[in-house]
Amino acid sequence: MIDFSVEIDKQGPLPIIRVKGEIDVYTCTQLNTSFQEVIQAGAKDIVLNLENIQYIDSTGLGTIAHAAREVQQSDGKILVVCPKPQVRKIFEISGLTSKNITLFDDEPRALGAKNA
Amino acid sequence: MPEHHIVKVEIPALSEYVAVIRLAISGVATRMHFNIEEIEDIKIAVSEACTNVVQHAYPNQTDGKINLVATLSDEKLDIAISDSGKGFDAKNPVSDKQDGSNGVNFGLGLGLTFIRSLMDSSEIISEPNKGTTIRMTKNAPEKKVEEPLTNS
Repeated sequence: MIDFSVEIDKQGPLPIIRVKGEIDVYTCTQLNTSFQEVIQAGAKDIVLNLENIQYIDSTGLGTIAHAAREVQQSDGKILVVCPKPQVRKIFEISGLTSKNITLFDDEPRALGAKNA
Repeated sequence: MPEHHIVKVEIPALSEYVAVIRLAISGVATRMHFNIEEIEDIKIAVSEACTNVVQHAYPNQTDGKINLVATLSDEKLDIAISDSGKGFDAKNPVSDKQDGSNGVNFGLGLGLTFIRSLMDSSEIISEPNKGTTIRMTKNAPEKKVEEPLTNS
């Protein structure tokens, strides 16, 4: 099976969570743990890089929605890097992007949105 | 392909095995020459049905099972995902909040939305204390025009 990993990059202006592998009912808890670590450290806006995921389902979207609700309390956003059409399709069907979750094609655009 | 082939897979109703079902159904869909987008659709729909079992069917059990039966024919791929868990009132399946407010559990509602959106047809059969079966169908890709055989 495909290896799953989550890496947190705190070096730049915004924290970046980079995920590899498949986000499903088994792996979404690791993603949730990373979100909690970043939010508890005081982050408002968070970049979630999904460039290297092969799959996401409703449990993954639920994890992202939960994080989005938490950062919304401090007017924060989840900036999702999501260039793959099959992953974008899942976001679009769910209607999740209508909240404080925005999709971008690459990391520079997501980071640039902070200053927009 | 003969009239139809049947593929059966049984997994423990545990989250770490849902990826196994995705691999299996991906192989079946590839065998039927669905394109990559259609294979992704099928994987997500099947995975959502299995996730529902993992999250809801066996609340006080660790030995529950998920059964997948895929029926391949020239016309369509029929898939049934069954459990023998607690079941629910099929007239009112959405019991979880849809906005992520209940943590990582996004609930059956969105999973069902995916299944309905990504497959050509679907239905849920469930009875309290007897289990649940989610059936779904993806119509077969249009057959490519085969090169006529030529005499050499």
